Amino acid sequence: MTDQPTPMHAPDLPELSAYLDGELDAGGRLRVAAHLATCPGCAARLAELQALSAGFRALPEEKLGFDLAGVIEGRLAHAPRPTAARGRRDWWAGLPVAVGAAASIAAGVFMGSTLVAGGAATAPRMAAMRVFDTMPPGNLCIGLESCYAKGSIK
Amino acid sequence: MADDAESGLIARARAGEHRAFAVLVRQYQDRVFRFILRMVGARDEAMDLTQETFMKAHQALPGWRPETQFRTWLFRIAHNAALDVLRRRERIEFVSLSDLSAGEEDHALPDPARQPDERLADRQSIELLERTLQELPAEHREILLLREVEDMSYTEIAATLGIAEGTVKSRIARARSAAIAGYQRHSGDNRDD
Repeated sequence: MTDQPTPMHAPDLPELSAYLDGELDAGGRLRVAAHLATCPGCAARLAELQALSAGFRALPEEKLGFDLAGVIEGRLAHAPRPTAARGRRDWWAGLPVAVGAAASIAAGVFMGSTLVAGGAATAPRMAAMRVFDTMPPGNLCIGLESCYAKGSIK
Repeated sequence: MADDAESGLIARARAGEHRAFAVLVRQYQDRVFRFILRMVGARDEAMDLTQETFMKAHQALPGWRPETQFRTWLFRIAHNAALDVLRRRERIEFVSLSDLSAGEEDHALPDPARQPDERLADRQSIELLERTLQELPAEHREILLLREVEDMSYTEIAATLGIAEGTVKSRIARARSAAIAGYQRHSGDNRDD
């Protein structure tokens, strides 16, 4: 039995892992290094983490195998440009189109107003409405009085 | 933060110079491809996703800020693209820390007589590690790739994945632990064969 309290086992795995990555501050590094010197279990754990890192470094460096930049350049040549860049540089490029559209609308409004306001726009005589007569146009008259009465309209 | 040469290229690309963007593509295409390939596991899909990553990056260039590191910004787009594919495949698995740690203590520690670099040096070991990596949950796989292959700092990983640095520290530790457990399990399987 001992009167001394049992020290908490440090460092934990995240600390060991950060130690391996060089992500601990100076105090943390010293503390972990001191612990590793006296704890075979943690030293072995760190060795496992180091072995894993070495394994990743040994993985083959896969390559795309062709010049993607050329493909991207080709696609970009046919694609619309990014919004902000277009907004900065090409605001004047649409000016002729805008002026043309405004002129078309103005001409349309002017022509429409002359038709409505001129008073000359009288309704044409609707001769075609005669198709609703009892005797359709072009039919032979079978001797009814109405036929002769209608003929007298002319 | 991007270096001066890179910042210049980005500025020219933002101004609409496709050739400048092409230089950036050439600079990063293999690294982005490698990351995506190990995330999705299929070469053809990884090639398409790499291309789409750069197209999306070009579209998003007006939103890039000079204080952001271009590499982490680009890898964030790649990471999102890869996760979209994995979600569609329904391959994303969420594994709790307790699940991960349950079996780890059963595995023997590596032979201390051998140097760490020697343990995974041979071809079979590399294949086992690739297999182990593919079996890890996506969030473990990506953080290991960013740390171990891309050599990103915790700050850079946090920016890439959009998580806190404290989360990076604990997640890397969990991912490493899971990878070691998986590797040792596969090593055991091979010895039993």
